[in-house]
Amino acid sequence: MFNRELVKGSTSLLLLQLLLERDMYGYELVKEMDKRSDHQFQIKEGTLYPALHKLEKQAYIECYWQEQPKGPARRYYKITEQGKEVLQEKQDEWQRYVQVMNKVIGRTENDSI
Amino acid sequence: MIQSKQDYLKQLSKQLGTHPEKKQIINEYDVHISEMMHEITTEEYMKVVVDRLGTPEEIADIWKEELSVTPNKTKWLFVLVNIVLFTSGAILTAVYNVFEWNMVEMVWSHLTDIPALIMMIYMLFWALLGYEIGKEFGHGGRTLLKKTFILSLIPNLTLMSLTVFQLIPYEWFQPLLNTKFIIACIVATGFLYPICLVGYKWGKKVALS
Repeated sequence: MFNRELVKGSTSLLLLQLLLERDMYGYELVKEMDKRSDHQFQIKEGTLYPALHKLEKQAYIECYWQEQPKGPARRYYKITEQGKEVLQEKQDEWQRYVQVMNKVIGRTENDSI
Repeated sequence: MIQSKQDYLKQLSKQLGTHPEKKQIINEYDVHISEMMHEITTEEYMKVVVDRLGTPEEIADIWKEELSVTPNKTKWLFVLVNIVLFTSGAILTAVYNVFEWNMVEMVWSHLTDIPALIMMIYMLFWALLGYEIGKEFGHGGRTLLKKTFILSLIPNLTLMSLTVFQLIPYEWFQPLLNTKFIIACIVATGFLYPICLVGYKWGKKVALS
């Protein structure tokens, strides 16, 4: 399990990444995140909807209701063009960060040997 | 103790109070809990639901925080701050010119010695306006930025017109109102929107962190 603050800071990025692949509803997003992270990213599910609301307010996602053959209608979330742009920026930034961290941590390990 | 989905939603509804988006929020948690219940087999299913979702109080607190910053509140906050800045300046100027209070004279003298610094601090206010809107509303804040900027600019344009058409006692603003300072003010006003925009873009960058 990871530090909760670390996961919290990455939630928006993860949500946008999942929505880039297909439109999803809240519960589906939770399950998908859990599955792909091998149960390592377990956010409090109740915090998911305020996070989605914030992304919607920022115009990075939009939503629509879809009726189901069985059960109540689901609210689906969809990434916008601006969301795709910001996701690309954040992914690049994240890659650079990981590269630098690996470099720094790698050197430190070598130094200590 | 929460015994059922209805209990949970009832408590959440109570905690949300008069929240404007209450109905939609409850609806989403309703659907979410229903989905959870399909896969929870234990008899104490509501305990699992609360563990995974959080208590209604915790959720309501997050929603209250999320919805405490609205476009309208943000817009009027910055408009009001600018009006307060102008009103304070106007009151200080009037008091300085009408009364002979040592304390006010001292403040006035210090402030008129550092017009460049005051102008720089004031520019920061406009950068902050853009930054806060970018950070909170991301791409969706562009229209809000324009509206807030235009409304906030009213006191600036009013004072500029009153000064240019000499509708306010010109001599009150001495020694500030020399040609150099007036030109600097006009140029600085022209830079306000680009400064706002830089702040907004910076705010957008940190919006997702």
